[in-house]
Amino acid sequence: MFNIEEFDIKLDTEIIGRNFVYCDEVESTNDLLLKSKDFNQHGTVLMAEFQTHGKGRKNREWISNAAQNLTFSILLKQNYPEKKINIINLLSSLSVAQALENLYQLNIELKWPNDVLVNKRKIAGILLESVSKGKKIEKLVVGIGINVNQPNFPGKFEIQPTSVRKEFKSIVSRERLLSEVLNIFENLLATAFENSNKILNDWRERCKMIGERVKIIQDNKTLVGVFDDIDEEGYLMLKSEDKIEKIHYGDVSLR
Amino acid sequence: MDINLVKKLIKIVEQSEISKISIQEGDIKIKISKNSDSHAEVAFTQNAPTQQPVQATLPAIEKQPAEEAPQKNLHEIRSPIVGTFYRAPAPDADPYVKIGDEVSPGTVLCIVEAMKLMNEIESDVSGKIVKILVENATPVEYNQPLFLIEIS
Repeated sequence: MFNIEEFDIKLDTEIIGRNFVYCDEVESTNDLLLKSKDFNQHGTVLMAEFQTHGKGRKNREWISNAAQNLTFSILLKQNYPEKKINIINLLSSLSVAQALENLYQLNIELKWPNDVLVNKRKIAGILLESVSKGKKIEKLVVGIGINVNQPNFPGKFEIQPTSVRKEFKSIVSRERLLSEVLNIFENLLATAFENSNKILNDWRERCKMIGERVKIIQDNKTLVGVFDDIDEEGYLMLKSEDKIEKIHYGDVSLR
Repeated sequence: MDINLVKKLIKIVEQSEISKISIQEGDIKIKISKNSDSHAEVAFTQNAPTQQPVQATLPAIEKQPAEEAPQKNLHEIRSPIVGTFYRAPAPDADPYVKIGDEVSPGTVLCIVEAMKLMNEIESDVSGKIVKILVENATPVEYNQPLFLIEIS
């Protein structure tokens, strides 16, 4: 059982997670937070012990054992400048990375745009979803899944999963981890827009693919080149022959 | 001053990072500035005592040319972010909307994906989809028109 009191003691935020919704089972924490009229408070965090339709990009599934891991979404309702919207994407993965480093000294690698890996295995995944009307993004949710105490992952995966338990060789406190992620998230979000370079540099430091030859799969198209850098908006700069192309999305892997 | 030159200047400001431009030709001074909605505002001033500053907004000027002039009951849905445009939630799913569909405020029209942010764009008006301006799975720029809706 998730101990809300223990989580609350460790939570050191002013806004993020102060409105905390805990559910046994939902279809998807992102969907519920984004679509329900009941949730409108900036910083609301909705956590579920089990998602029946946990998802990733393009309706891929996020499968996670009940009550062993963390699956939660953060609702953001501030008006973010559209050119900085991807900074939220990067700082989300950075929050998870720094929390895992601080608490368990794991050697974290970030994969563009926002996968969190340990020893080339996926320990956390992030999916942001938003709704806009006119030019305004009205609601933005950051959905985060972290494999925490799940002992094994039967099945076939594109990227082999792992968990904190497997890497740290011990069962850990989900309450402590969730509070640490949210504490860091709030701090990073507070400085993200005046000082997005800090976020970009901290992210770059953990991305091992920069400078490497990569393959990017987009729908039916495959691009190859050198992962030159991320630009100031977080897009991947792919260098091939003498041109540099700005990449908005896709699955990146080493060639 | 040539009105076409003014139109060109407005376009340049609108499509660029510049928020303000001020140009003087003879005794006519033009100031173009952009507000947060990125509509250019134009102020003409002439060094004649009776002349009042004139304010014009871009849509008013753009309506003058006959080609591609949006009719007054047509509403454009534009992309709020840079990304990739998708007409359906998943590759094998039906599109959210087709030409001829009736929509109302809140109807989901498409998704624009940037990195791993999936942004659903909802209609902000009631009406009928008359034109889809972008091919599925192609890149779109900030503020690029995506749909034309005939307002009912």
